[in-house]
Amino acid sequence: MGKIIFLCILFYVELYASEKQSEKDELQSKCLECHNKNQIPNELIYKRYLVKYSTKNAMTQAIMKYLKDPKKENSVMPPPFFLKFPMQRTLDINDTILEQNTRDFLDTFDMKKKLILP
Amino acid sequence: MLKSEKKSLIRFLLIYLGSTFLLFSIASWIFYVSQKHHLFDQQRDTLKFEAAKIITHLRTLHESYEQILVYPVLPLVSSSIYDLDKTYIFGTGKETPLLEQKWYMENEEKLYYLTEVQPHYVGAAFLLVSKELDVEPIKDLQKDILQFLFGAGLFFTLLGIFLGRLFIAPMRESMERMNLFIEDTTHELNTPISTILTNIEMLETFGKCEKNDELQRIEIASKTLSRIYDDLIYLNLNHQYYRHIESINVSDFVQERMVYFNVMAVNKKLELEVSIEDNVILEIDKNDLTRLVDNLITNAIKYNKKEGLLTIYLSQEFLSVTDTGIGIRKKDLDTIVCRFKRANKSEGGFGVGLDIVNQVVENYGYTLDIHSKEGKGTEVVVKWEK
Repeated sequence: MGKIIFLCILFYVELYASEKQSEKDELQSKCLECHNKNQIPNELIYKRYLVKYSTKNAMTQAIMKYLKDPKKENSVMPPPFFLKFPMQRTLDINDTILEQNTRDFLDTFDMKKKLILP
Repeated sequence: MLKSEKKSLIRFLLIYLGSTFLLFSIASWIFYVSQKHHLFDQQRDTLKFEAAKIITHLRTLHESYEQILVYPVLPLVSSSIYDLDKTYIFGTGKETPLLEQKWYMENEEKLYYLTEVQPHYVGAAFLLVSKELDVEPIKDLQKDILQFLFGAGLFFTLLGIFLGRLFIAPMRESMERMNLFIEDTTHELNTPISTILTNIEMLETFGKCEKNDELQRIEIASKTLSRIYDDLIYLNLNHQYYRHIESINVSDFVQERMVYFNVMAVNKKLELEVSIEDNVILEIDKNDLTRLVDNLITNAIKYNKKEGLLTIYLSQEFLSVTDTGIGIRKKDLDTIVCRFKRANKSEGGFGVGLDIVNQVVENYGYTLDIHSKEGKGTEVVVKWEK
C-alpha cells in the first residue's frame, strides 16, 4: 500500500515538473528565442517595467497591453529603443497563455528574488 | 519673631514661592516640550537622511542588476521595502503592516518613517525605516531642568526669606512701637489714677487732717491725666481738626499756663525764672497754642532735676523754655521730634510731646531750635518770625 502511495506522489511530482518545464520551453520558444536572436536586452525591459509599475500584476497588465496592441504609446521603452529593435507584430496566442508567458518572463528576471542580506 | 510676624512671613513665602514655582514650572515645561520636539526633529532628520541613503543604494542595485543584490543595511536602522500594493518585498526589519502616517512613534521608544520610492527601484514603492529613539539627550534635558528648578527654587527661597524680612521690617517696627505705646499709656495712666485714688482714700480715712497736700496731689494727677488725654486727642484728630485762627495774647496765655503748672513745678521744688514781654500777639488756634506751650513746659518740668532751674523767656520774636535736667544726647537731637521718640526713658511719657510741638511749628511756619547738652539741660526755642 505504501509503495502505491509513494508511486502516486512520484508520478504527480514528475507530471508537475514536466508541466513547468514545458511552460519554460514555451516561453523560450515563443519569446526569448527571438529576443536573444535579435539581441533584445530582456533585463532592460524588465527593469523599465519594474521601476514604473512595481508589482507583478501591474507589470503583467502593462506588458500584455503592449503585446496585444504593440504601439509606442503602450510601451515603457524609450522611442530610440524602437529604432534599434523594430516593433513586432501582434502574437497569435490566446490571453491565458500570453499572461502565463508574461508571468514566466517576469519570474525569470525577478529582481526581488536576487535580494539578500549582507 | 512675633507669632503674627511669623504667620505673615510664612504667608508671604507661600504666595511668593508658590507663584514663582508655578511660573518656573510652566516655563520649564514649555522649554522641555520645545527642546524634546527639537531633539525628536533632529532624530527625524537623521532618519530621513538614512532613508535617502537607502534609496540611493536601491537605485544602485536596480541599475547594477547583478546575480546577487545585497540589500543595504545601515547601523541602528531597520528598513523594509514594499511594493505599490503595500506588499512586503524585503528588509532588515520585521514584516510590519504599513501605516497611513508618514511619521509614527512607538511609545516614545521607536521612531518610524515611511517614504515613497519614486521611481520604484527594485520594485519598491514604499520604504519604511525605523530606529530606536536615542533617549539619552532627553534624559539629560530632564536632569538639567530638574537641576535648574532645584537651583532656582533654592535661590528664590533665600531671596524670598530676605525680601520677606525686608517687607515685614516696617510692620515689625510699627508693632514694636504700638506695644511700647500701649505699655507707656497704661503706665502713664496708672500713675495719676493711683495717685488720685490713694489720696481720696487718705482723705476719707483721715477726714480731719490737713487736706492741702492730698488735694494738691489730686490736682497734679488730674492735670496730668487731662494733658495725656489732650495730647492723645490732638494726635488722633490732628488731620480732621478744624482750626479757629484768632489773635491771642501769648503773654497772658503763658502766664495762665504757668499758674496751671505751678503746682507741678513747686512739687519738684524748681526755681522759676520767667521773663515775659507784654502783648506778644499771635494769629493761632488756641488749642494748638495750648499744646505747644503745655508740652514745652511739662517737658521742662518733667525732665528737670529736682530743685533745678526752669527758665521761660517770651519775646516778640520767640519763646524759649530751658531746663537744667538730663539733657539730650547729641546723636538723638535730629530725631527727638519724631513720634514716640524718647531720648530718655527714666521719666514717664509717650514720646509724643516734641512731635506735637513740631507739628504745630510746621503748621504755622515757625522754626524750632533745640540746644542740649547731656547732663546739663535743654533749651527749646520756637521762633515766630518767618
